[in-house]
Amino acid sequence: MYLTQEEERIYNGEKGEAQAIAIRLLVSIGEINGAEQLIPIKSAHISGVSYKNIGDGGLKFLKKIADKVKVPTTLNPLGFDLERNGPVEVDRDFREKQLEIIRTFISMGIKESFTCTPYYFYQQPKYGDHVAWAESSALIYANAILGARTNREGGPSALAAAIIGKTPNFGLHLDNNRIADYEVAVDGRLDYSGAAALGLYLGANYPGKIPRLVGVDYLRDFELKAFGAAIAASSSTSMFHVENRTPDDILNRGRKFEKVVVDYNELKNLMEEKSSHEKPELIAIGCPHLSKDEIDYIASLVRGKKKDKEVEVFLFASRETIKNSSESIKIIEDFGAKVFADTCMVVAPLSKKYHKTAINSGKASFYLPMKEYGGQEIIFRNFNDLLRWAVIDN
Amino acid sequence: MIINGRGISPGTAKGKIALCDDYISPLGEMGKDGKIKSGKCENLEFKGKIFAFKGGRGSTVGSYVLLELKENLTSPIAIINEKAELVILTGAIISEIPMIDGIPLNILRNDDEAKIDGKSGILELLGVVQKEVSTVYLFHGDKLLVLLRSNHVSSFQNQYSAISGHIEEGETPEEAGRREVLEETGISDVEIEKIGKPFPVRWENIVFVVHPMLARTKSDKIILNWENREYRWINVDELSRLNTVPRLKEALEELLKS
Repeated sequence: MYLTQEEERIYNGEKGEAQAIAIRLLVSIGEINGAEQLIPIKSAHISGVSYKNIGDGGLKFLKKIADKVKVPTTLNPLGFDLERNGPVEVDRDFREKQLEIIRTFISMGIKESFTCTPYYFYQQPKYGDHVAWAESSALIYANAILGARTNREGGPSALAAAIIGKTPNFGLHLDNNRIADYEVAVDGRLDYSGAAALGLYLGANYPGKIPRLVGVDYLRDFELKAFGAAIAASSSTSMFHVENRTPDDILNRGRKFEKVVVDYNELKNLMEEKSSHEKPELIAIGCPHLSKDEIDYIASLVRGKKKDKEVEVFLFASRETIKNSSESIKIIEDFGAKVFADTCMVVAPLSKKYHKTAINSGKASFYLPMKEYGGQEIIFRNFNDLLRWAVIDN
Repeated sequence: MIINGRGISPGTAKGKIALCDDYISPLGEMGKDGKIKSGKCENLEFKGKIFAFKGGRGSTVGSYVLLELKENLTSPIAIINEKAELVILTGAIISEIPMIDGIPLNILRNDDEAKIDGKSGILELLGVVQKEVSTVYLFHGDKLLVLLRSNHVSSFQNQYSAISGHIEEGETPEEAGRREVLEETGISDVEIEKIGKPFPVRWENIVFVVHPMLARTKSDKIILNWENREYRWINVDELSRLNTVPRLKEALEELLKS
C-alpha cells in the first residue's frame, strides 16, 4: 500500500503510540484487502461500547488507543439507559466499568450519542461521502439510503479510522463493488415487519450479495431501515439498492440482473415459524432505534388509551430523537409504555427479567432467540398486531 | 533459510516456533496461562514463542484477548498465519505483537528456531536450509511413471516418487528435469509439456522447493540407477494407494488442472 510521508511518520510512531497503532491497523486491513491507499473520511461511527461485549480487554484497548478523533464520531448503544437506569438493573461493578468506558470515549472527543441510528439528529453523511461506520444496521443505511460509502467496519477499525481521519480504499468505497448482484420483486405489499422479513429471507438465501429491490418504492425510509437491519444481521450484505430511491442505483443503469420474485406468503410463514403463540411479557419496539416519525405514529395509535398491566411496552430511541419528540413521548408514557435512550433490546440484558418478548424487528428476531442473548421466546409480528396484546378495550 | 511472507504487524522477534495446524479463536481457546485450551492443539504452549497457526476465527472480542495476554506476559512473542483475517490482525496490532502471513505451515516444525520481521514480512528459519529440486511427472500414453526410492538416497527413503533431483548451479528447472530423467531412467526422448508453480516440502532440516513439471515420452523401457529400486507404470488414480513422498498427488492434480 502507498503511504504519504506524513502517514509513514505516523506509522513509525512519531505522533505517538495511539496514532501508530491506529494507522497500522488501517494499513494492514488495507493490505489484506488489496487497497492502494488511505482516503479521507467525513465521519465515523463506533460499535463495541457495551462493557458486556468488550470486557476488560476492550477497556484496556480503548485506554491504549485514546487519542483525539479527527472527524465527527458517534457511539453505538450500551447495556442500560444512563439517566433512567433501565430497562433492567445492572450491578454496581458493571455500571462503574461501563462509565469508565464512556469517559474514555468522551476524552477522545466522541459524541455521547449511544444510538444505532446516528443519522437521526447526530450526523447525516451526504451523497458520495466516504465514512467509516461500524454497526451493520447503520452502515447499510448510510450506503443504501444516504448514498454515503462505508465498508462493514468493526469497532477497532472504525475507531482507528476516526483517530487518523482516513480509511483504506477498498470494497464499498469503490464504484465496482457497489453494483447490484440480483434483482428482487415482491408478490404482495410490504409493511415494516414484512420488509424486515424480506431482509432475513434474502440474507439467508443470498448471503453477501447486493440486492436491487424493484416495485417497492412505496416503502418509507424507516421501513427500509428495518429491511437493511435484517439483511445486514443475517448476512454480510452491507449494501442494497431500491429502484427510484437509492442514490447509487445509477451504477446499475443498463445492466441486466438475475431476477428473484418473493411471495409475500413465504415471508409471513417465516415470521410465524419464529413466533411463539403465548401472550408476551414484553413488547419491545425500536431495533434499530425509532425515528421521530415512528414515535409520532405510535403516539397517534395509543393516544388516550390504557395499557394492560400484564404486558410491558418498551420503546428505544436516541436521546436527541426523544428530546425532539417530547409531545408524542408524553402521550406514549401516559398510555403506560416506557421509553429508553442509550440502550436497545439487543444489548440490554432483557432476558434477566423477560423471557417472552414480542417484536416487530427482523434484526431482533435474529438475535434474541440466540443463547448468548438469553434464548428468548419471541413473537415476530407487525406493530399493529403487537399492540392488540397491550391495549385494554373499552 | 529466508521465506518472504507479508508484513502485518511491525516489530521483530526471535525464538522457537509453536505450531498448530488449525484455526484459532483467541476467545475461549487461548488461555491466560499461555496454553491452548481446546481443539486439535490442546495444551500447546504459545507463551514466549512464535505462534504459527492457520488463521483466526470466532468472536471479534478475541482481538482484546491478545492484549490481555500481552499484559499478563503470557502472549506469543510473534504470530505467523497462513492467511491473516481481522480478529488476529487487530489483536496483534493493538498488542504490538509482530505478525506476518503468507507462510505455508507445512514447512515449519515445532521448536524450529526462527526470526521474524513483522514489517517486511520476512521469516528466517535458523538451521534450516533450502534446496531447489525438479520433479518430473513422466507419462507414456496415459501411464505415469513412479519410482520407489532406494535406501541410499538422503531423503524420503522407501517412498514412491516421480523422477526428482537437485537443480544444480547454473541449471534451469527444466534442464535439471531432463538430466534427472536420463540419470534415473535412461530415457532421453522427453518432451516437457508444462512447468507448474514451485512449492515447498519440509524434510528434517531441509526445505525442498519443488518445481513440478509434466513430461511425455514414447519410450517405456526403464534403466534404474542407484537412487531407486523399483519402477511402475500406473494409472493416475492408483497414486492414492501408494506410500508416496509428500504432496506427490496434489501437485500432479494441480498440474493437470491448470
